[in-house]
Amino acid sequence: MALQSELTTRPVTEPERHAEDLVIETRDLSKRYGDLVAVDRLTLRVRRGEVYGFLGPNGAGKTTTLRMLLGLVRPSSGRASVLGEAPGNSNGLARTGAMIESAALYPFLSGRDNLRVLARHAGAPEERIEPALAEVDLSDRAEDRFSSYSQGMKQRLGVAAALLKDPELLILDEPTNGLDPAGMAEMRAFIRSLGRGQRTVLLSSHLMTEVEQVCDRVGVIRSGKLVGEGTVDELRGSAGLRVRAEPLASAERVVAALDIVESVTTSDGALRIETDPAFAPWINRALVHAGIDVTELSPERASLEEVFLELTGDGKDQS
Amino acid sequence: MTNSVIAEILVLRKRASTWILLATWTALALFFSYVLPYVEQRSMTELLPEGLAGTLVRGFPFFGGVFALMLGVLAVGSDYSWDTMKTLLTQRPGRRQVLAAKLMALASVLVLFVASVAVVAAVSSYVVARVESAPVDWPSAWLMVRTLAAGWFVLVVWAALGVMLAVLSRGTSLAIGIGILYALVIEGLLSALVTQVDALEGLSEVFLRTNSYSIASALGASTETIADSGPGAFAGPYVSSGQAAVVLAAYAICFVLAAAVALRRRDVA
Repeated sequence: MALQSELTTRPVTEPERHAEDLVIETRDLSKRYGDLVAVDRLTLRVRRGEVYGFLGPNGAGKTTTLRMLLGLVRPSSGRASVLGEAPGNSNGLARTGAMIESAALYPFLSGRDNLRVLARHAGAPEERIEPALAEVDLSDRAEDRFSSYSQGMKQRLGVAAALLKDPELLILDEPTNGLDPAGMAEMRAFIRSLGRGQRTVLLSSHLMTEVEQVCDRVGVIRSGKLVGEGTVDELRGSAGLRVRAEPLASAERVVAALDIVESVTTSDGALRIETDPAFAPWINRALVHAGIDVTELSPERASLEEVFLELTGDGKDQS
Repeated sequence: MTNSVIAEILVLRKRASTWILLATWTALALFFSYVLPYVEQRSMTELLPEGLAGTLVRGFPFFGGVFALMLGVLAVGSDYSWDTMKTLLTQRPGRRQVLAAKLMALASVLVLFVASVAVVAAVSSYVVARVESAPVDWPSAWLMVRTLAAGWFVLVVWAALGVMLAVLSRGTSLAIGIGILYALVIEGLLSALVTQVDALEGLSEVFLRTNSYSIASALGASTETIADSGPGAFAGPYVSSGQAAVVLAAYAICFVLAAAVALRRRDVA
């Protein structure tokens, strides 16, 4: 695609890549609108076959990043590679399905005609239309106008449009926006199923439960910067134990003296112990043996929400 | 490319506004070119089959042009309003190909516009001849071919202007507003002043209206009738048909290039 200048979006070269099979790779990708930095030197790596969650508060730069990856928006600086091609390159787009923000289709055309138009543009065989409609459960309403669809149906048709090319890479931006709880659950299960096999899914969302349920790995973005990346488990960090006991100060001394405990802190009238939760019986025994009353002992781990709020400050909009 | 053009024709074909514009223009052409002049008993020669080419072609430079402008704006500007531009540009084809497909689809639909008005005009002139018991002498086939081609060419130029305005304004409302403002106020007002202000004579030679009417005049349109055609009136001076064709072609190329450059360089937000 001619949109991208060589300076800003030449593909990351082969020697620059890691041994892992990367479908999307960005290096210091930035987008500025005057003084506003929407995306700030973002380095992102999405591996083949994974469902990658792109998590961030509203206005964090998720959609701008996705638009740059699709060639809709020209980066201010940095490099990006999508399926080994510059963003927006026809060869890359031929293997990429996308739905950005919401399904944007012709309101006066039926669902089927909308897919017909897109299949023609994409060079996808028309035989893909019916399976795509069936996959999102819209075969019965395929002749109805897009404008008559509910929000959930529109989103589903948008996903069907993204699937027309049987893409290697699927980029979905807030696909559950506007869906009711049942629709959200259905869409998440569907996205999860799409990510099986060799297909890669890049899912942008501000909903932690969504990302937690669907994604293999997560990147957290704040003010255009990637502030955390890893599996959900990695982001949540190691598990620990929470203990309520009387007297608390004595309990802290006893626990801190144990070899199996890495650290112990007090908060909210309880001990937070950094250790393997499997050591709970040993810790309980030591406390009881020291004459301390244990009223609560439970495994504890930071929720993704806590991690998200910690990484993104307070979770409020940043731009 | 062929697949993209077929896709864009499907979009235009299924869109109500395409048919509304076609029906409105055809009805207006019938009323202003045949019904009103017949009721007012204007030049009967223009209303008979022998005057078909001239009567038909004088409707394209202004009335037809404004409808083609609106069609051009709607064909591209709506993709910004509905956000479908981003959907199209994330399919396989590049931006230039999407624009080229839209222009080719538009040019194809304009053939229908020309044919529709031509059929209505032919039937009307035949009816007038029968009612007036006048001879039915049709223009030569060669003249009709040139008339239809010229009409289509003029409409394409106006549609290209509409496409350019739609891309530049990334929508429909402003583009239609500016387009009609240009056609009615700028060209219309200045054309009316040409006969009074010498300095404007050279300027008027580059107007779409001047060059379009010059082609119409070369194909037999009555200059007296053109000078008396309401908001689309034009009293000259006329330029040669060759010069007019070159100027209009240059306009079409400039409009398309400006649209292509803007579409290529700008972000699709």
